[in-house]
Amino acid sequence: MSLLDILRGRAITIPPLDGAFRPTTLLEDAEAIARLTAPDDLIVVDGRVFCSSGDTVVALGETQPVARFGVRVACLAARPGGGFAAGLEDGRIILWQAGSGPEIARPARLDCPTALLFLDRDRLAVAQGARGLKPSDWVRSIMGHDRSGAVWLLDAAGGAARRLADGLAFPWGLAANVDNLIVSECGRHRLLSVPLSGGPAKPLLTGLPGYPARLTPAAAGGGWLAIAALRNRLIEFVLREDDYRQSMMAELDPRHWIAPALASGRNFLEPLQCGGVRSMGVHKPWAPTRSYGLVVRLDARWQPVSSAHSRAGGQRHGVTGLVEHGGRLLAASQGGDVVVVLP
Amino acid sequence: MSALIEMRKIAKSYRGAVALKDVDFTLEEGEIHALVGENGAGKSTLTKIMAGAVEADGGTMLFAGEPVAFRSPAEALAAGIAMVFQETSLVPSMTVAQNLYLGDEPFLSRLRGVQVAAQQFLQSLNFTVDPGALVSTLGAAKRQMVEIARAVRLRARVIIFDEPTATLTPEEKRYFFALLRRLKARGVSIVFISHALEEALRISDRITILRDGALVSTGETPGFTRDSIIAAMVGRVLSGELYRKRDDIAGLRSAGDKALSVQDVSMGNIVRNNAFSVFYAQVTGIFGLIGSGRTETAKIIAGIYKRDFVRGGEIERDGQPIRYRVPRQAMQDGIVYVTEDRKLEGFFETKSIAENLYSGYLAAGLNRSVVVSMREMARLAETWRKTLNIRALESNERVVELSGGNQQRVVIGKSLVQRPRIIIFDEPTRGVDVGAIAEIHALIGGLADEGLAVIVISSYLPEIMNLSDRILVFRQGRCVEEFSPAEVDEERIMYAAVH
Repeated sequence: MSLLDILRGRAITIPPLDGAFRPTTLLEDAEAIARLTAPDDLIVVDGRVFCSSGDTVVALGETQPVARFGVRVACLAARPGGGFAAGLEDGRIILWQAGSGPEIARPARLDCPTALLFLDRDRLAVAQGARGLKPSDWVRSIMGHDRSGAVWLLDAAGGAARRLADGLAFPWGLAANVDNLIVSECGRHRLLSVPLSGGPAKPLLTGLPGYPARLTPAAAGGGWLAIAALRNRLIEFVLREDDYRQSMMAELDPRHWIAPALASGRNFLEPLQCGGVRSMGVHKPWAPTRSYGLVVRLDARWQPVSSAHSRAGGQRHGVTGLVEHGGRLLAASQGGDVVVVLP
Repeated sequence: MSALIEMRKIAKSYRGAVALKDVDFTLEEGEIHALVGENGAGKSTLTKIMAGAVEADGGTMLFAGEPVAFRSPAEALAAGIAMVFQETSLVPSMTVAQNLYLGDEPFLSRLRGVQVAAQQFLQSLNFTVDPGALVSTLGAAKRQMVEIARAVRLRARVIIFDEPTATLTPEEKRYFFALLRRLKARGVSIVFISHALEEALRISDRITILRDGALVSTGETPGFTRDSIIAAMVGRVLSGELYRKRDDIAGLRSAGDKALSVQDVSMGNIVRNNAFSVFYAQVTGIFGLIGSGRTETAKIIAGIYKRDFVRGGEIERDGQPIRYRVPRQAMQDGIVYVTEDRKLEGFFETKSIAENLYSGYLAAGLNRSVVVSMREMARLAETWRKTLNIRALESNERVVELSGGNQQRVVIGKSLVQRPRIIIFDEPTRGVDVGAIAEIHALIGGLADEGLAVIVISSYLPEIMNLSDRILVFRQGRCVEEFSPAEVDEERIMYAAVH
């Protein structure tokens, strides 16, 4: 903030959707391969695609759930050599293999797992969204300017845990990059590079136009990034109006906050988005929107090269989970209750 | 209705460049006639001939059935033809009343007398303008009103408007259109140049379309649609290699890192919440019609204009916010702007090539010595004269003596000596011969290949499509569309620019 900003007020601006973020309808037009309630994270285990939905983990194309945990599954990670780990809404991390699920030992401070990543069979990286919040409280974390997120390295065999980074604003995605972890920091709209050997995290990609969620590596190098929702001026404004924001958070049902969302148009009490309101049955694709679908292709330097969108008038909003399988990208859209496959 | 103005086979060339060739045009009594075409189609030249500001090289003009050849705007005005330019010709430090009677005051005039007369006259036109107000305090629409009132007071039977709505707000535009209808009802004929096709379709009785100095189509407005006008405006035959279409996506440069992020930048009515990005190692083409805010946005980036102090948005260079007070700061940060008006802003015409190049060097603060070093200047001049292939006998030749293409090379050279990382070319080939255009295009492409972020602003669609790796379209002060040159045609770009 410059000295002049004190006099004239800080500019509230959002990077434009151009260049690699140029709007398309690729996500909206993508083929749907599974209809699930709020599908969240995706992984590939032994050639099968697993997806978390509510308290269950299902294998796409199969009728019976693979696992049921009794509480919402917040994140998944495929374990080299078979099995997977599941981070749960209550903070537990379960190692699941062949029908059984022992809990992985973790420090008491490590709650709110939002993303998991096995670096090898025993080393598990965990993104902790925020201390004292649940993984599904990402909106509360953002609107509360929470900076208590962290990244941990756990020993799945029960060894010591190490904190690699802290002071983060809701880290929500992890990817491996040689000796570093790539972390998507949702609340600060950026990707970070966190050295596995310790040391300060370095920003890798800043000024994203939305709230980054999960990352997944691409076979051709680089990776894919899911953007859970777009930033907009109204939310940026509310984020700077502390009194209003605090009373909104204290008094209103979180579903009705002026805040980013994974889905919209489900309740008439939601804040209206001016031009986004349907007029004569038409919802303009370029209108302001409460939720949005966006998947970004990142190159080997983790810079954006292209993107697939589901715009204001679309349904496949709130993409949080991605995985490559069989040369194609699968995306889980929580807002659209669907898993789609991008060519 | 009968023809009030009839122009037959009007021709005009500027130093060999054909501006109009055998154009026929008729203006009926009491009609609103819209004149549309791309920038450089010859609309302004045609109307300037009508208003006596430019003399035709050939053809005849009949006014009320009599052959006329006006040698000055005063002659045309005396006959009843007035022209209202985009930049009004009012004296800002005088009142509305004084402006109305300027040059026509009674011998013993009192300020109050002039004011009363002006008030009565403005009321008779139903114009709500305070005759005592200083013109400098009026908005664009009211200034135009005063200009129109002056034309009506001088009993103009024909009023020509050049881009009257470019700087008006939507509300002012409505006001202005109501005014045109009132003038029409009084029997005044109106010629109306506009890039806004919706306006032309809404307000006019007839439309004439010019392209490359020739008449393409003329007829009653109901016979036209937006699409048919656009097709007629851009339907030129692409001239071979120079302006070939880049339909091979592999031939486009892929984007490097983000060089500039322009976010919600505003400047008065001209630039409104403009947002776009520019990347290194790529040519970003910006297309827009006059008044779309392209040049102004570029000048804001380069520190020549200042964006609004409050809610003016943000510009980031390499991720860092920037706000320059003077262009020198931008140059030192590696951002340079190559002007569209080289004669006015581009060079010191009576200075030599070497002195001009060195002035760019000095402006960026790159000189090592405190005093001007003649040796450094000579070395710089020789290097850049060869690099840019500036055809002159020696570096001491004055810029004014060079051809348009070589002058443009000097202007570009003056910017390149500043070692930019982001370079903005505004109409880089305006008034430049065909041979030089090819060389300038190659130079621009070469800069992007070297990794610079290059922005090219051009009104000429084939140039934008040939040069750019991505195309941004500006309309009414903001970037409204982004296209890849491989997937777009001229009509789609023009459609985005006018809708």
